[in-house]
Amino acid sequence: MKPVQPPGIGWVVLLMTLLAVAGCATQPLQSYQLLKSPAAQQPPVELIAVPFFPQEEFQCGPAALATVLNWSGTQLTPENLAPQVYLPGRQGSLQIELLAATRRHGRIPYGLRPELETLINEVRAGHPVLVLQNLGLSWYQKWHYAVVVGFDLQQDQIILRSGREQRHVVPIKLFERTWRRGDYWAITVTTPDHLPVSAEEIPYLNAVVPLERLQRWQDTATAYTTALTQWPDSITARMGLGNSRYALHDLRGAEAAYRHVTQQDPGFAPAYNNLAQTLADQGQLHAAENAARQAIHLTTPSNALFTIYQETLQQIIAQQAMRTPETP
Amino acid sequence: MEYLRRIAKPISHFVIFSFLWLGLQLPAAHASIVGTETLVSAAQVQQDRVQIMNLLDRKDIQEQLISHGVTVEQAKARVDSLSDTETHALADQLNSLPAGGDSILGVIVLIFLVLLVTDILGLTDVFPFVKKHRR
Repeated sequence: MKPVQPPGIGWVVLLMTLLAVAGCATQPLQSYQLLKSPAAQQPPVELIAVPFFPQEEFQCGPAALATVLNWSGTQLTPENLAPQVYLPGRQGSLQIELLAATRRHGRIPYGLRPELETLINEVRAGHPVLVLQNLGLSWYQKWHYAVVVGFDLQQDQIILRSGREQRHVVPIKLFERTWRRGDYWAITVTTPDHLPVSAEEIPYLNAVVPLERLQRWQDTATAYTTALTQWPDSITARMGLGNSRYALHDLRGAEAAYRHVTQQDPGFAPAYNNLAQTLADQGQLHAAENAARQAIHLTTPSNALFTIYQETLQQIIAQQAMRTPETP
Repeated sequence: MEYLRRIAKPISHFVIFSFLWLGLQLPAAHASIVGTETLVSAAQVQQDRVQIMNLLDRKDIQEQLISHGVTVEQAKARVDSLSDTETHALADQLNSLPAGGDSILGVIVLIFLVLLVTDILGLTDVFPFVKKHRR
């Protein structure tokens, strides 16, 4: 159960090593600052309604995931989830497996910023937070997943659903030390119609996109719509909404989304391309051709998407030729 | 045999219909739609570059870099030459730093210095003995 490293090459590895060294040496616990800040005066919160699944041997991953997934409205047990996330050979679950399983059940796993205050804010907003901890030491690793369900900063307490304990109360600094050794890894699990309070535009969309690969288009359409309520000007979210509708064969809806983007940013070529395809599918070949030509006009041949735009145009021209056979 | 003969017709109809249906579905799969995944990563790259460049516009960071003999232009030119993947990895590193604290400034400056140094040396030259073995 190793923390998953981001892709990197050459110097990135060197950089991370340097950072790890610098980080260990100088990075102070965030708890000190948090407990001194005005935020420490806030009233305690405990999400009593979050269910509890006592953990079987080594299976903290399935238990913690079942906790947040059931809170979000699914009916799953750790036994249901174990085959999806538990690796018997490693006696544990990888973070990516937890993310993938969450998506398979139509929920959005959102990775939080590595900040204690962000975690506290999510819990206060009513969202339990799944965290990765290293209960051992950095050189004697004992990885563990648990769910933060409450805090009382004045009493110096974090409350977790952890292992076989329904209400595991830990001093904040101790919690942070174990969490820091897990690289501050934390996720919320929300339905597509609900945003984490700390959600940011691009990271949230990044969390939604993998559901497209699972063809959960209804879920992604809802998630992009939700994103648009928070970031109405997000071109990426609106393109995602258009693409989801297109996949759901809602061509009119897709067309509306793409058109909206072309009005928002007349220089955004992908919107014209997707609009062209959508119009062609509706048999509006003349308008489709214009849109496809606009996409090409806006793009330099070195752009990776240029060939896609050309393909779109060629397909449309071929369709036109089929419709109006040449007369001698 | 009689039974087989009786069901042969509906089955063949079903098979033909399935193929036709599949044929109707296929054009949609071939449609040239620019996928959301592509668009999100493009937006991500753009955001990463802006974020890194914004850091380099910070006065305290500029001062630190200059005190190490590095101009802001050099650092920016170096960032410009990064690939999308590298840019993202760099931004990821910067994001994973906890907010606040004086030590953060030093770490950020260190990152840019490492960037420049690796550029000058080239990573393969850091360990020249590896190459010597191959000769």
